[in-house]
Amino acid sequence: MDCGTCDTVSPVQMVTPEIIDVALTISESAKNMLSEAFGDDRSHALLVGVLSGGCSGYMYDLQIVETTEQDCQEIAVDGFRVLVPKASSHLLDGIEIDYVEKLMGGGFKINNPNAESACGCGESFS
Amino acid sequence: MPIVALSDASLTLWRGDDVLSFIDGLSTNRVAELSKGQLIRTVFTDSNAKIIDCLTLFHMGDFIVAAGHLPVLDKLLNHTSKKILGQDVEITDISQRNDLFIEFDCENKANEIDTFSSQGEITRGNIASNYSILVASKGNGPSSSDDFTEFNQWRITNKVPWNGYEITNSFHPFACGLEELVHQQKGCYIGQEILARMRSRGRQGKVLSQVETMSCKPANITTKGDIQSLAIIRS
Repeated sequence: MDCGTCDTVSPVQMVTPEIIDVALTISESAKNMLSEAFGDDRSHALLVGVLSGGCSGYMYDLQIVETTEQDCQEIAVDGFRVLVPKASSHLLDGIEIDYVEKLMGGGFKINNPNAESACGCGESFS
Repeated sequence: MPIVALSDASLTLWRGDDVLSFIDGLSTNRVAELSKGQLIRTVFTDSNAKIIDCLTLFHMGDFIVAAGHLPVLDKLLNHTSKKILGQDVEITDISQRNDLFIEFDCENKANEIDTFSSQGEITRGNIASNYSILVASKGNGPSSSDDFTEFNQWRITNKVPWNGYEITNSFHPFACGLEELVHQQKGCYIGQEILARMRSRGRQGKVLSQVETMSCKPANITTKGDIQSLAIIRS
């Protein structure tokens, strides 16, 4: 097999999405939960990313982090630091970060105007 | 054993720390635990669970090599490349540097199935007990036939679906005999909800069948033989 690793074979040209300045909002219920999670320590940030996978192709990836190696936009919303990876900025512009109570416990929910559809469990979107 | 050349096969190289999890998140089989020297087949499906491409993955150690179907390579790359966001995944098309073949009617030992080995310029991946895929650098392949007649007859006898015949965007994996490539326990991927619903309800619609050529509706025949054919028909 010739894997093309001995000399230079160009990778397939990938679709490079446009990086846009993300605007987002946080609902009151989500702010309350973030306040509980962060306390007075605002050195941490909420990282809102997107990974491939899930029934609809993309999955949200929410983490509370101090720093990240991902190249991110940092957005300040009502005193909270929110990090959005530039690679997924085109998928996250205009989102609302919400917090909803469910029978099986509460959780953050992303209301995304860019999503054409979402899977039944609400974990992924396209 | 007879060997047929695959003139319409694609070969891509997938490199990066996130390759296996990336493919796992977008296709039907559980590939995340694939290790060096192992081979696995998996199907990329669209949101209607229709097949985009069926890939044979070789874990080469530092990278993954994927054999697929050349006519749908652009569609596969378009489907996958949009999903690479922050992940470390890079794809290189090495189709033009290699020739692919199928050796069929062979007798692979059970412990050799889903593994591959390389001898000189030829890498041999044992897909099933009775056929293997061979990948050779351009012009260094084994002597082979370009005529698919004998291979197709063997496929009809052994009910083996093939790219462009049964494995097309018109069908989902269950319809064309690829149910063993749809892992039952793995997590979500595009098309998974539809396939899971079909499986749980026991309703798979059309299925791959061996039929008498003369008594089957021609529109349902996917691989035509003189006496018997393969067809995708309602069960």
